[in-house]
Amino acid sequence: MIPIAISMLRHDGPKFMALVLAVALAAFLTQNQASILSAFLGMTGSQIRDVREANLWVMEPDTECFDQAKPLKQTAVQTIRGFSGIEWAVPVVKVDTNARTEAGKLSTVTLLGVPEDSRVGEPRMKLGDASAIYRRDGAVIDPGGFSLLFPGQTFKSGMKVRIHDEWLTLHGISDAAPPFTGFPVMHVSQTTAMRLNRAEARATTFVVGRMLPNADQQAITAAIRRETGWKAMTRTEFENASYDYYAAQGVPNLFYITIAIGFVVGIAFTGQTFLMFVKENARAFTTLKVLGVTHGQLGRMMAAQAGLVVFMGLGIGTALAVGVTEAAKLMPFLRALYIPWEVALACGGVIAAVTFLAAGFAFNKVLKLQPADVFRS
Amino acid sequence: MNAETTTNAVHCSAIRKSFGSGETRTEVLRGIDFTASRGEMTFLVGPSGCGKTTLISIIAGLLTADEGHVSLFGEDLSALSPREQILFRRRNLGFVFQQYNLLPSLTAAENAAVPLLAAGMNRKTAVARASEMLDQLGLGHRVSAMPRVLSGGQQQRVALARALVHEPRLIVCDEPTAALDHKSGESVMNLLATSAVHPDRAVLVVTHDNRVFHFAHQIAHMDDGVITHVEQQALNSRLQSSPS
Repeated sequence: MIPIAISMLRHDGPKFMALVLAVALAAFLTQNQASILSAFLGMTGSQIRDVREANLWVMEPDTECFDQAKPLKQTAVQTIRGFSGIEWAVPVVKVDTNARTEAGKLSTVTLLGVPEDSRVGEPRMKLGDASAIYRRDGAVIDPGGFSLLFPGQTFKSGMKVRIHDEWLTLHGISDAAPPFTGFPVMHVSQTTAMRLNRAEARATTFVVGRMLPNADQQAITAAIRRETGWKAMTRTEFENASYDYYAAQGVPNLFYITIAIGFVVGIAFTGQTFLMFVKENARAFTTLKVLGVTHGQLGRMMAAQAGLVVFMGLGIGTALAVGVTEAAKLMPFLRALYIPWEVALACGGVIAAVTFLAAGFAFNKVLKLQPADVFRS
Repeated sequence: MNAETTTNAVHCSAIRKSFGSGETRTEVLRGIDFTASRGEMTFLVGPSGCGKTTLISIIAGLLTADEGHVSLFGEDLSALSPREQILFRRRNLGFVFQQYNLLPSLTAAENAAVPLLAAGMNRKTAVARASEMLDQLGLGHRVSAMPRVLSGGQQQRVALARALVHEPRLIVCDEPTAALDHKSGESVMNLLATSAVHPDRAVLVVTHDNRVFHFAHQIAHMDDGVITHVEQQALNSRLQSSPS
């Protein structure tokens, strides 16, 4: 009976199309929004992940995330180096300040100072050489930041950006992960960063370090917290803390609303269309009941119809979401966008459940069809 | 009563059925006693609203009588569970409807194969058997046609193939000629008489088309919820032996 069910659905072209498009739209909306949300929240740890060598982050106790950090004294580095189990520790200077191009384009930028001696946190490069940042006026910039400060322009080594009263020369495009804030990320030497950090020139934003292999990381971070009063976290813990900080800010609620709309649209459209399909095919369903098709067989027929709708709708919706994501990734600020397989799986599962639920409502109508009505003209 | 030994295909006694309640209650069947025999075509005739359709609905197990007793081939339908009734109907009954009730998305052969598919037969085998049945009914050249391209008479022949393909013991026909012109109606009735009537099978036809009364072995006249009289008649010589 399954092929009959499929034929019945495909024969009713407009409703078949409406069902598939409703599921496709719901799949697209939910996957697109969920992937944007997860990508954005994933960006909250971009600069933490970019310091690949470090597995220890130490900061002021009031610091809640990477972008909202209070400075530590430079002496904090020596203090951390003194703890047992620490292989090395270096300062990371982060400065949020304003930058202006020669054309007058203005933007807040995040300056990250890389220590000249250890070079911990030195960026990977898409274009140019990272060692240029150790020149007095040297800097590199991330792709999104370059697009923002130099819209429509092609990078040329020697382009300049003014911070305070100093002109920095850009020597390359880094592969720094896009930040959550959307500000351009510029890597400079630690000396340059501290020089440009006028308010707190003798401070460091974080102390990052590496704990010895096989060391008890929890015991080390606990000891630092206990003995210094600072926050000390493993890299993963700091990533999670930054993620949680932004997740609690309310922005995700907007995405949750859109995702919820996607599901509501899905259930409303598919439910309504399935009901209309049953209503307009009531004679056919009644005839099948009279001819001895059992409720179980009818249920399997409707499940097959829902399955086809899910298969096609989810396929189209997912393909659309992937297409839009890939297109969006061409924009530098959105290059971190991707659809995590967990998101695709969860959205697919929920949409399939919603569609089968809608088909279940419609099946309830089929159950209520009176076989004797088959004799009505 | 043994289902295999009884000569009655359909036996109804003291059937009563009403719809609605209180002041709107209408008694549609008011004590029907009725019998249809194997090997015969029995007509139920009467004016619109006399209760013919309600009676065949009860006989086919699609409605439940308020009072009275129905047995088909000795099987008491009221003793069966709802699921057993469906399975009994699937095995033992074939239906021909006034509006054909073909599934528009299926070919003629697929439509005719529905009872076999419902019984779980392999699709290829079921469609092949249905095609053979259509061939016997003179539609061998239209097995792959969709209902929309078939004439009314051809669609009714597909419906007849669907009613016969699983070799049921009772064929229930509701106004099978009402939507057809005289020639097509005559042709369908001829087919019904030659293909459906069988020593171990009964054919029950509800109609008010008096142009086809001559096909009946027995005619039960109904009026106002009762059977007023029953006529027995010899098979009319105008029956044709082959489909047109």
